[in-house]
Amino acid sequence: MNDILTATGLNKAFDNLQVVKDVSLTIQKGEFVCLVGKSGSGKTTLLSVLSGLEQPTSGEVTINGTSITNSLENDLALFRRKSIGFVFQSFNLIPTLSAWENVALPLFPVKMDREKRKERAMELLGQMEIDHRAEHRPSALSGGEKQRVAIARALVNYPEIIFADEPTGNLDSETSEAIMNILKHLHKQKGLSILMVSHDQELAASCDRIIHMKDGEVIS
Amino acid sequence: MNIQYLFKELYHRRRRTLTAIFSLAVGLAILITINALSMAYNKASRIPLKEIGADITVQRAGNVPEDLTGPVFACSAVTIKNDEIKQIQQLPGIDGFAQALLLWVFDEDRFTIMLGIDGENPVGPGTLRSEVIDGNFFEKGKHQALAEISYARTYNIQTGDQITIAKKTYMISGIVDASRATKIAAANIYLDIDDAQKLARESKQIQAVSPFGTKDANILFIKANSSHIEALTLSIKNILGEKASVATPASFLKSLGSLFALSDKFSLATSLIALIVTILIVLKTMAGNLAERANEIGVLKAVGWSNKNIASQLAGESIIQCLMGGILGLILSFIAASLLGLIQVNIPIPWEMSPTPHFLPGGGDPVFKTLQLPVTISWSLTAFSILLSVVVGAVASYLLSNHISQIKPSEVLRNE
Repeated sequence: MNDILTATGLNKAFDNLQVVKDVSLTIQKGEFVCLVGKSGSGKTTLLSVLSGLEQPTSGEVTINGTSITNSLENDLALFRRKSIGFVFQSFNLIPTLSAWENVALPLFPVKMDREKRKERAMELLGQMEIDHRAEHRPSALSGGEKQRVAIARALVNYPEIIFADEPTGNLDSETSEAIMNILKHLHKQKGLSILMVSHDQELAASCDRIIHMKDGEVIS
Repeated sequence: MNIQYLFKELYHRRRRTLTAIFSLAVGLAILITINALSMAYNKASRIPLKEIGADITVQRAGNVPEDLTGPVFACSAVTIKNDEIKQIQQLPGIDGFAQALLLWVFDEDRFTIMLGIDGENPVGPGTLRSEVIDGNFFEKGKHQALAEISYARTYNIQTGDQITIAKKTYMISGIVDASRATKIAAANIYLDIDDAQKLARESKQIQAVSPFGTKDANILFIKANSSHIEALTLSIKNILGEKASVATPASFLKSLGSLFALSDKFSLATSLIALIVTILIVLKTMAGNLAERANEIGVLKAVGWSNKNIASQLAGESIIQCLMGGILGLILSFIAASLLGLIQVNIPIPWEMSPTPHFLPGGGDPVFKTLQLPVTISWSLTAFSILLSVVVGAVASYLLSNHISQIKPSEVLRNE
């Protein structure tokens, strides 16, 4: 089996508002897929459901053969820590921690030497070419630097898949391109599976596959 | 719990951290200081009796002497009969007992307050043995007496002199400085109780007002555990009747008149209010902390922290903040205690406990025991405060841990 993610008959409603409607999709290992749609089309909600941040109203999600639907919250958290990396539009770094500590954040609940944690974080910051900023806090970093730190954090646990929600949404075009290049590099060189949400058709064009959403449904 | 993350949160969010620490510190300082002050007044109230080696003194009020010549009783201290003394001695809860006999002696050339005491008894005025500043304590059966220093100066009395009081001659065995020891039952001349009883028995004026027998007395000194004092007071009043005058630490506490001295309930109520306000402030600060960090908690959940991981991290922060608040509160309390310890309190000694005839110079003047308020913060109060601060932190974080589990990462990250 070559599928990293399988979703079947997914529905998500908030009270009477149906946000995701009967979505079924598959992402293969090593595939870079972009979920495209207008604002309010339900793509971020679908990403949340697919990544286990949100439970679907109905349907099932399987990641690398493990069903994450109806799992207990703490089990889901552990699963996310082991198998999933997240990159958010607003970076979501912890303001009180330095760059390397933010990268190592998913490792904090894991029994591990501080030095080993730092070593792993520094390795990833090095890959992101930002290791010289390791001791700086987010407030001292530019937008592009923050997103590189966030990508490094997403990679720290050797995830099976990365979910990226508008990772270039808060960046200028030049920095956006640099971040996209990093994601493409990770995909090509390391064979990482990536599901990215974007409303930018131009960025989406560089992905392996594009999934279009409209009014909560996958239309192509 | 990650210590590095914990201290960075506390350090980089200084305003929030300091607010929590200072709120708790001030609340705890109020709590500790009120209790220390209350305990200090309680301690102060025990001092006048403690100085005379007793916890309770007993007298009986009577009639004013009609003929002020020779030995008489002050109206505040008439005869306590020997059978009554025996009944009192047998009451449960008494750890030590002494009797004494206070006499006013009106001679032609002078007025003398005499106190007959049991010099061998460590309870009561027998404690004056350690206050002899010249000569020796009197010996029983040798008609010896101690002269109080100011009286000795007034009448130029020295150790070895013979003095005649109420037509009886005594050899002054030593000079005693009773003023350092006590204001209660202070006298000019201290002599053996047998000698004093003989004087009283032979006094027509005494016998006319308050018949006096061989082994009777007019002041009793009792040592008792503080838990028995209230019950003993009631029993003694039952034995001696309504004219019994029983002095206890509680009666001195009442005479101090302070709000803290008047009521333990006041201290308790104020402490409880301080405690509740402190807990509410800490809870509010922690709740604000949680609301402010909802996004951060969402991120932690998204990257794989369990509710337990997050709760223990926030509990650690909360407990450390509260512990620091507790330590700062203690420091503030020690400073407050040092300052309050400078306060001088005057404990009024009731006239009947050290009676001097009103018509003599200074006879109607109020007598006070002046001392610095003994404000101390005990080890138990210190330990309680530290424990309390940790418990407040733990309880606050426990109450808020339910809110942590309700934070959905998708919602906070969507609304960022």
